[in-house]
Amino acid sequence: MTSREPDPAERHHILLNPILLTGKRFYITVGVLLVFVIWGAYAYSLQWRYGLGVTGLNQPVSWGFYITNFVFFIGISHAGTLISAILRISQAEWRRPITRMAEVITVMVLFIGAANILVDLGRPDRMLNILWYGRYQSPLLWDVTSINAYLTASVLYLYIPMIPDIAILRDRIRGMWHWFYRVLALGWTGTPKQQQVLNRAIAIMAVLVIPIAISVHTVVSFVFSMTLQPMWHSTIFGPYFVVGAIFSGIAALLISMALLRKLYRLENYLLPIHFNYLGMLLLIMSLLWFYFTFAEYLTGFYGNEPEEMKVFWAKFSGEYALYFWTMVICNFVIPVIVLCRRKTHTILRVVIASATVIIGMWLERFIIIVPTLVNPRLEVSSAVYIPTWIEWGELAGSFALFILLYVLFTKFFPIISIWEIEEGEQVGLKEVEKRIRSYMPQNI
Amino acid sequence: MRMKHIQTREEKIVFGFQLTLLASFVLAVGGIIVWIVHLIRLSHELQDIPSISIGISIVAIPVFLVLLGVFNYVFWGMLLHQE
Repeated sequence: MTSREPDPAERHHILLNPILLTGKRFYITVGVLLVFVIWGAYAYSLQWRYGLGVTGLNQPVSWGFYITNFVFFIGISHAGTLISAILRISQAEWRRPITRMAEVITVMVLFIGAANILVDLGRPDRMLNILWYGRYQSPLLWDVTSINAYLTASVLYLYIPMIPDIAILRDRIRGMWHWFYRVLALGWTGTPKQQQVLNRAIAIMAVLVIPIAISVHTVVSFVFSMTLQPMWHSTIFGPYFVVGAIFSGIAALLISMALLRKLYRLENYLLPIHFNYLGMLLLIMSLLWFYFTFAEYLTGFYGNEPEEMKVFWAKFSGEYALYFWTMVICNFVIPVIVLCRRKTHTILRVVIASATVIIGMWLERFIIIVPTLVNPRLEVSSAVYIPTWIEWGELAGSFALFILLYVLFTKFFPIISIWEIEEGEQVGLKEVEKRIRSYMPQNI
Repeated sequence: MRMKHIQTREEKIVFGFQLTLLASFVLAVGGIIVWIVHLIRLSHELQDIPSISIGISIVAIPVFLVLLGVFNYVFWGMLLHQE
């Protein structure tokens, strides 16, 4: 870089402000989130002491809020890696401010999702049984393996593209944190060879992470579909879960974009066009989700198997009807109404649609799990599931912990990739022009 | 392509931490691979359809090895090409 070229860190100083400056709002945000995290931790401490009896879980309803949270959070993890990877491979230039936000979501929620499994175990030491006595005949082990692979890949996919930005922080920050960034920067100096290694590694990871991400939620669906429980034993569950995961992931990403745009004054980076494009993706996923849901329930209804119909009617008009129809309204009706016209793709409307999708997708996981367990194939005298405040605490604590980890990340690393923005301005524009010219009729 | 930058005590300490990072990643991935192999052995001992364990490991182990390879590639690529 010559002395006449502006320093990228100076040009994009606003992206470093959250790291270099800490305002009162940050402490208030962390304080509020910690309250909910402590509520969740306190609830778990009671569960640890008194056992799962303090929850609403029982026989036959042995899966409730915790497994709902697990599936929900693992689903949201598809935001990051899948969207980021697919946009990178398709060379969509508008991805540049979004990819890191998405990748951070992935890494953070995977920890939260896995933690909910430990909470659901009641006795977390039983996790060791998976290490010593695991059996690969069980879809639960497939789950453990695929989530481990996804977590490893996602951490790498987040870290590798961060290296140049970590080097910027290494060069600007003094004191204890300088050492932290210096270690993680791996000696980045921006040489052409280093850039080549980085680009190649990112390209490999972008391709690798897609099948891993798809396999994760497919395997999560197998935990249900490989059983013979009514309305679980369905071949459509694999793609249905993947579509739902991408759907909820896009919604989570949109909400985080809107919040960060407001809090960190990123209006010049997160433009209305980003919300417009992701809003269109959200609409497409809403329609796809509805298609899969319709196919799933129509198949069950047409088969008219007695045990399945008990579950079916429990959802459609029985004790779970309120949750089921709320799910449909949140996942389909509201997003389609709000997003079907491009003119209505304002940031506020897209965020409203995303918020309803988050609620709807959590309800979808709940609706898949609990009604089936309340109406099992074997006759039971009565089955009911009423979550206690312990489970509500864990739910609130899980969300709060995810947001807290996300906020803390933004205090240590730039949430928008500085070097990728620079690359977009210097190289991307020319590449896009060249690409468009190559699409045009030639030799006329 | 030499690591001429590791000369002072400060640089050696930083390199030590970086090697620890690499070693942690190798241990983590290695541990997962060892665990998968342990499950294959266990299913073979118990005659518990070991073919399923072998089939899954044929996919899972190469994935982890590729991830390990990518991290090594980036790690040494960054450190060895600083100039």
